[in-house]
Parts: sequence; structure tokens; C-alpha cells
Amino acid sequence: MGFSMLWPVFKQMFKKPWTNKFPAKYQPNNTTKYLADVAAGKAKINPPVPTPEGFRGKIVYDTEKCIGCKLCIKVCPCGAIEFKEKEKKVKFYLSRCCFCSQCNDVCPVKCISMSDEFLLSDADPYSKDLIVE
Amino acid sequence: MSAKKTEKTEKMLTPEEVVKYFKDEFKTKIKSAEIKRRTTGSKKKEFVNIWIKIDRSIFKDFVKHLCNLTYPHLAVACGNDLGKTIELVYNFSIYYGNHLEELSLNVSVDVPKAKPEIETICDWIPGALITEREKQEMLGIKVIGIPDERRLFLPEDFPENVYPWRKDEQTKKELEKLYKNLHEGAKKK
Amino acid sequence: MSKETTQTTYQIPIGPIHPSLKEPVMFKFDIDGERIVDVDVELGHVHRAIEWTGMRRNPIQIIYLAERICGICSFVHPLAFCRAVENACEIDVPERADYIRVVHGELERICSHLLWAGVAAHEIGFDTVLFLTWEVREKALDLTEYLTGNRVTKAILTIGGVRRDIKKEHHAKINETMASLKEGYKKLAHAFLDDKTVKMRSKGCGVLTYDDALKLCAVGPTARGSGVKKDVRADQPYTAYGDIGVDYITPDVLTGEVNGDVYDRIIVRLLEVKQSIDLIEKAIDQMPAGDIVSEPKIPKLLNQIKKIEGEGIGRDEAPRGEVIHYVKFDGKSETPYTWKVRASTYANVLPWIPMLKGDQIADIPIVAASTDPCMSCTNRVAVINNATNKNYMLNKETLHNLSVMKTRRMIH
Repeated sequence: MGFSMLWPVFKQMFKKPWTNKFPAKYQPNNTTKYLADVAAGKAKINPPVPTPEGFRGKIVYDTEKCIGCKLCIKVCPCGAIEFKEKEKKVKFYLSRCCFCSQCNDVCPVKCISMSDEFLLSDADPYSKDLIVE
Repeated sequence: MSAKKTEKTEKMLTPEEVVKYFKDEFKTKIKSAEIKRRTTGSKKKEFVNIWIKIDRSIFKDFVKHLCNLTYPHLAVACGNDLGKTIELVYNFSIYYGNHLEELSLNVSVDVPKAKPEIETICDWIPGALITEREKQEMLGIKVIGIPDERRLFLPEDFPENVYPWRKDEQTKKELEKLYKNLHEGAKKK
Repeated sequence: MSKETTQTTYQIPIGPIHPSLKEPVMFKFDIDGERIVDVDVELGHVHRAIEWTGMRRNPIQIIYLAERICGICSFVHPLAFCRAVENACEIDVPERADYIRVVHGELERICSHLLWAGVAAHEIGFDTVLFLTWEVREKALDLTEYLTGNRVTKAILTIGGVRRDIKKEHHAKINETMASLKEGYKKLAHAFLDDKTVKMRSKGCGVLTYDDALKLCAVGPTARGSGVKKDVRADQPYTAYGDIGVDYITPDVLTGEVNGDVYDRIIVRLLEVKQSIDLIEKAIDQMPAGDIVSEPKIPKLLNQIKKIEGEGIGRDEAPRGEVIHYVKFDGKSETPYTWKVRASTYANVLPWIPMLKGDQIADIPIVAASTDPCMSCTNRVAVINNATNKNYMLNKETLHNLSVMKTRRMIH
């Protein structure tokens, strides 16, 4: 019978755990109170592991540069982009977006880019934070 | 029928010889044969695809003749709806196991929509069962002699006689009833 | 069962969703005591009509649809589709793009096999090995995120090449990850291949003979574990594998004999991890300079595809076996006329039947997991005992415990 796993298991007792304790070390008893404390500056949140360069996060859209060519709408696989006829600009619905950044690649004037923001969950899919225009 | 492959003693034919092997046996029933070569990588290694169109009457004998040459690997059978006929493309590959010598052999058979029937090849290649069952339910082809003719992927309550891969108007209407357009609804508030 | 009944076998349905089966599949077993007498397989529970959806979109949109066919084979499906379109339209891929495709394909193979090794250890009952394996896998996923922007849905392919380059500043992190993966591989090889318990538990169960593997068209490590030499990377040159050179990995490379059981498949997958690490290093060394995509402007590419009339096939080797895509264009629009996908697990479904006949119920999780089907879910199993007319439920924990208890019985 092999005792081959005993040594690595023994070593584990002295190693620091790998987990990054985001957002807090232990689950708070009252989550809303904890979030209110953080907003008031009384408690801190451990930051998440930093994202690498080139991470595909939330879309950043520069309205001034957009020329209304509609190429991004043609290549979007999810149908997350809508064209605003009167102003000739576009509107992104992030609850549909799959973050492939194909719109970023195809745009001829480079008015779309991807930031490193990924904490985007929300209860309402059409809230203001999830619509970029 | 033996499925043994003796790799070391097997003599491998070139693509042109393979086409000749079938043309000698079946003569005019082979409607066309095309060999496509493409290269890849820095050293421009070549890979070969052979596309053969045959008549429906010799299909089973063709597969038997192929098994006599070397036991093939059946990847999948694809189907195209071309209006009056349905074209089935069986993708075989032969001479696997030898480094960089495999040939892809694609056999197309045309089946008229009025009488969509084809023979099974499960007695030569038992692994063809799954792909034949899929063609039966998706395109409405009747496979004669299939050992197990139940539905494979579609649910039990999917309507009979509606074949999703066909492109005629009646199928489109039936499918529109089942398919709810996701772009309507709450998105454009 | 000592009463006078004419039926001595009873039926257990397992599925459609079950912990050790990674795809929702319905099994119906005929059981006599503890031995399995007959197996029936029913599919179709996650049929999402992807091919039908794809026949309404242009090729750039289909790449992202193909990526989501399977979470862990999320590089090979777009690659097969892009190669099918490139073969149909006769688009040539630049050499540098071919080498970058090799690097990403092999990185995905490492992540997939390490995940599988952890799950196999869990089914046998070694939870410690599960966590150690997945810790090694985290390093490979971090490298994927660094190179492509996301851990799972890579979005790195396009028709005619790749979207992101591997530059000199990336080499440092790649070399560091490869070094730590080699360390991790040594630990894993020691934990799986040198351990007597794993051998006792997995030898002799789930046997697939050479003849059966050939006749049922099995692919991937399922076929190679039975001695059949089928590997698309070594059979047909695609991307840069023809230049670098790949060998067939069958169990006799390590042990000298081929039995076709679960232990042989463990050997094949672990040796493939080592092979992938070597292939990535060779690809990085031999990468030529040049473009990474043949046509960078997408509207031009779509116009080119619109005029083509023809059909093409793309085949490549996923971690689970051969994947083939077929595309047909009719020259009138850029939407393909037909798109057919055959993922590797559908060819590995029929081999389940000869593998499971003759085994015990407690072997079902490890044998089903040894062919490495694709996702993981939970549900319960209903057992109907015809002889006594009693129904009772076996839930997920009980079935897993049956497997773990068998291991403990064998140790003592």
C-alpha cells in the first residue's frame, strides 16, 4: 500500500492557502450593513486578483469618434448592439454582450475599447450601468 | 468480416490509384471524382481530400469494396437539401496509423425527395448507427435495414414529419411556430 | 430475489443528468445482482439546435457560436470551422498563425486533461489528488488569460489566422508556466502511475477491445487506450503539427502491453500532457516571423466568401478525439448553405455499451468518466426492483459512495 501521498499532505499543513480572500476574509453577518460600512469608509474590501493586460472587460465607447457605419452591428454574434437612427450612433446592451471584442477589431475609427472592469452583475438587465451609449 | 488492420504489411495506394481502384470496379456509376490538395505550415506539408459522387444503386457495394481495400474510419454523414434531391456526404478516412499519410475520402450520394431511401452500412461499419439515426430524424431519409430506428436527438414531443434541416416552405412555417423570436420582447424598451 | 419470479434482472435508469456523467445522457441498465447485463443509451437532452442557428448567421458570428458548443473544447470547434471555411474558399493561412494555433491548442489540451485527471481521482475516492491537480491547472488557466484575455472562451481565432500575436514579452511568462507545469506533471505521474491502489481499482474494468474500438469508430484516448493508432495530429498535417512531428501515444509506450481498460486510458492522457508541454516549447522555438492573419479587413473577407461556391471539411484533434466540421457555400450569400458539426463525444457513445457489460454498478462512475464526456451536472437515480415491487431512490452521494467503498474494500 503506497504511503506516497503522506508527504505532500503533511507539507500542506505549513503552507499558506492559495485563495485570495476577496471581498472579505469571512462572510459578514449582515451583508447590506457591511456594504454601507464600506461606502462610509469604516470597512475595507480586499481587492480581486489584478487582471492582465488585454483583458476583455466592460466596453468603453467614444461617441464623438463614431461614424455610424454599422459594421459592429453586422459582426456582433449576440445581437447586443442597436442603431440609433436619428443621431447615427449605437447603443450597447451589456446584458447580451459576450465580450468577444469583435466590434473592437472591426471598427474602422477605433472608437470602441475594452476596459478591465468585470464586476458587472445587476438584478435588472436594463439598468443604467449595463447600457453603454 | 474481419476488422483487423495489419499496418506494416498494408500497401498504401496514392490518391490517383484509389480513384482508379473504384473506377475499375464501378465504371460509369461513378459520376465524378476530384482530388484536392492543400498545404499547411512552413514546410508546406500536403493533405489530400478526395471527393467522389456516386449513384445510389452501388452505394452498399461501394462501401464493401472500400472495406476490402482497408478498414475505413467513418467520421460523419452530412446532408444537404438541394430542392428536388437530398445529397448525403459520407466522410471516410483511410490509412490512419501511418504518419502523415491519411487520405480523406468524401462520398456523395443523391437521393430523390419523392422517395428518400438509402441502405444501411451498419453491417460493415457498426459505428455508423448514430449518424444514420440522426439523418433519419433530421432530413426524413429512411435507412433500410437499420438495427435501431428510434429518434436520437429530437425530443419525443417534436411533431412527426417535420424535418428541421429541410429548406422547403412548409418546414419553415412549422418551425416558425416552434421558434420564438428572442429579439422581440423586452429588449427594445 | 429468492422468491419464484421469472425475471431475475431489474432495470436501473441513470440520467439524463448525473454527477459522473458530464453530458446529460440517459442510460438504462439491466442488472442481475451487481453485474450489468445489458446497456441502452439515449441522447438528445442538451440538443440546442446550434447547426440550425448557425445556418442563419455570417461566418464571423458562427465562430463565436462554435466556441460555445463545449466549454472545454472551446478552441477546437472554432478551429475546425475556420479550417473548413479556409478549405472551401482556398484561403491560405500565414505560417506564424499556424504556430500560434498550435500553442493555444496544446494549452487547451493540458487544461482539459488536468481537469479530467482531477475528476477521475474524485470518482476513485482520492479527493486530495483532485485539489492538487486543479491547483496545477490554475497556472495553465492564468497563462491562457494572459495570452487571450479570458480563461475559457478564448476568442483568439478568425478566418485566415489568429487575432492576437505572441510577442517576445510574453515568452517570459510562458517559460515560467511551462517550468511549473513540468513540476506538476512529475507529482501527478507519481500519484497516478506509481500508486498501487489506482492500479488495483482501474485495471480490468471498462475493457474495450481493439476490434470493438475499430468497428465502432471510437476516437481519441478512448481508441488509443485500446491500441488503435488514430490521432489527427499525426495522421494528417494541419496547422504546424506536420512540421513539428507528433507521435501516437498508446499504453505500450509505458507498460509494454495493451489491455484497453481504464488504467490504460489514464496512462494515455497523462503521457499526452507531457507531450503537449514539449510541443508548446518546440512551437515557441521554431515560430517564424510574419503576418498573423491573411486578410485583416473583415468586410473584404466577407465579400470574398460571398462569391465562393463549394464545400470544405475541417478536422482536428480535440482533447477527447476527432472533431469534424463540414461547410457548404452556394455562391449567393456569405451565410453557409449547410454547416454540420460532429463533436468527438458522439463517436464515443457507442463504445460505452461493450465497456459497461459485465461490470459492477460501482464501476459505472469511473468507466463513464474514463471516456471523458463533456460537462458535469447533478441528479438522482431511481431503482425499481421488479421482484419485490419496491421503489427506492439512490441519490448522487450514495452512488459516489458506492464507488468509494469499493475502493476501500479493495485496499483492505
